[in-house]
Amino acid sequence: MIVSATQVSRWYGEVIGVNDVTCVIEPGITALLGMNGAGKTTLIRLITGQLRPTTGDLRVFGLEPFGNPEVYRRMGYCPEIDNFYEHYTGRDFVRFLARLDGMNAKEAMTRADEVIDMVGMTERAGRKIAGYSKGMRQRIKLAQAMLHEPELILLDEPLNGLDPVGRREFMDLLGGLANQGKAILVSSHILFEVEQMTRSLLLLHRGRLLATGDLGVIRSLIDKHPHQIRIETDEPRKAAALLAALPNIVSIKFDRSGESIQLEVHEPSAFYNALATAVLERGLSIRGLSSPDNNLESVFKYLVEA
Amino acid sequence: MEAAIFGQALRENLRLRRFLPWVIVGLVPFGFASQWPTFQPDAMKIDQYANVSSIFVFHILALTSAILTSTILTQEVENKTIVYLLTRPVPRWKLLVFRYLACSLVVALLGIIDILFTSAGVYGVLGSNPLLFRDIAAVIVGAFAYGAFFMFIGLLFNRAMIVCLLFAFGWETAVPNMPGQMCYLSINSYLQAIAQHPSAGQNKVLGQLTSSAGDNTLSSNTGYMAMILFAIFLVALGSWWFTAFEYLPREDAE
Repeated sequence: MIVSATQVSRWYGEVIGVNDVTCVIEPGITALLGMNGAGKTTLIRLITGQLRPTTGDLRVFGLEPFGNPEVYRRMGYCPEIDNFYEHYTGRDFVRFLARLDGMNAKEAMTRADEVIDMVGMTERAGRKIAGYSKGMRQRIKLAQAMLHEPELILLDEPLNGLDPVGRREFMDLLGGLANQGKAILVSSHILFEVEQMTRSLLLLHRGRLLATGDLGVIRSLIDKHPHQIRIETDEPRKAAALLAALPNIVSIKFDRSGESIQLEVHEPSAFYNALATAVLERGLSIRGLSSPDNNLESVFKYLVEA
Repeated sequence: MEAAIFGQALRENLRLRRFLPWVIVGLVPFGFASQWPTFQPDAMKIDQYANVSSIFVFHILALTSAILTSTILTQEVENKTIVYLLTRPVPRWKLLVFRYLACSLVVALLGIIDILFTSAGVYGVLGSNPLLFRDIAAVIVGAFAYGAFFMFIGLLFNRAMIVCLLFAFGWETAVPNMPGQMCYLSINSYLQAIAQHPSAGQNKVLGQLTSSAGDNTLSSNTGYMAMILFAIFLVALGSWWFTAFEYLPREDAE
């Protein structure tokens, strides 16, 4: 195992950062999921050896990570912060960090250009970072994390600020790295984002590790509870009559506006399949479909209740 | 790796926006040096130079060091760029020591420029100044001694700059003039011992201004030894401190 945490807690004075976290991180992509303030960044800082655990034992490659160059030789870190040496160009910044990774000037130049190319910044790397957009900054941060071909890469909210194309490219790049056998830990507070990257999850809530393992298992745990679904339609009564015949419906309520209905369903995936059939075969007209449950808060609520 | 740390810190401190203002500050002692006969018409050139050097150059040295060296790490912490440095395979002590060396070198360079300006103000550009090399030696030793002290203060306090400026202006002005053994608690006293400037004589105000009103009987060799040991001790202590404790971007630490 690449990272192992055993009953790790970290306190900031009287405020708890992470509480009694036990987990392992293996090769492949693992998502660290949690709402803002859940303790994701604290856990990443513990793994990257910027912080020491208050209690518990944390090992990276079997070593204590705090200030340990042996660990940093095998680890890349893309922090959440958006700060740089603003007067540097992107290329100079990456080259400087390559030198700190132990490369000589020539190696640093070559490798910096390689990783800059990998993140699609070759044409813009000669510009000063002060003029970079959020997305360009994210790419340069990722480039510096991959410089020394680390076995473990930690990415703190890496998709923030990236446009959809950038996200896709970023996810493809991470997928490629994972296929090379690298361990990648990606923190995010967006469930949808994470689902597109990996099935392996660490779910943090208020400093505690609420669930670990496969996203499907967590999803099925969630799916045991009735899901709220809101359907906007011009014919709510006709829609309700049709939907009532579908499987897994627990309840149907009409909205006060008269333009939508609220459903409670079991096994939402089965319901969505049946709904698609109803739309296609029975002419059910739908203007909008949303599920207030399809967000992290609901996931946490269900898991806490479970 | 060491060259990269040193080179980056050197380039940062030699950036025109940072370096040039301090060169311009060096024109202050030049101006006073060239106009000194107006204040003290009967003073010999060596006294003119010694007075301006003690009053301005050594205090500007402390001020420059306080501002540049105390930010060796605090600036990285405040800008949050410390994260990039602390997660590279570089021992923390190397980060600190090589940045300290680069920063102190720049402070020493600025001190030498101030000395040369002052000397030019009194003796002219090509004039022979008998105190020149002793002063240059004192400024170099002083840059590294002050640098070590302010760097360590920067490791201890969140608002290190205030503490360092108070020390540079208050302590370093007042303590060398105190009676008894107190003057030995000031770096300036040791630098004055290295420089071996001629006495200000009976002029008490001038004695206070040139930090020579105390009972400083240190020899030049004692000054060198004490400052070198002082700098080595503080750099070693600072290295241990920086290795042992957490340094997080400021707002995250609160």
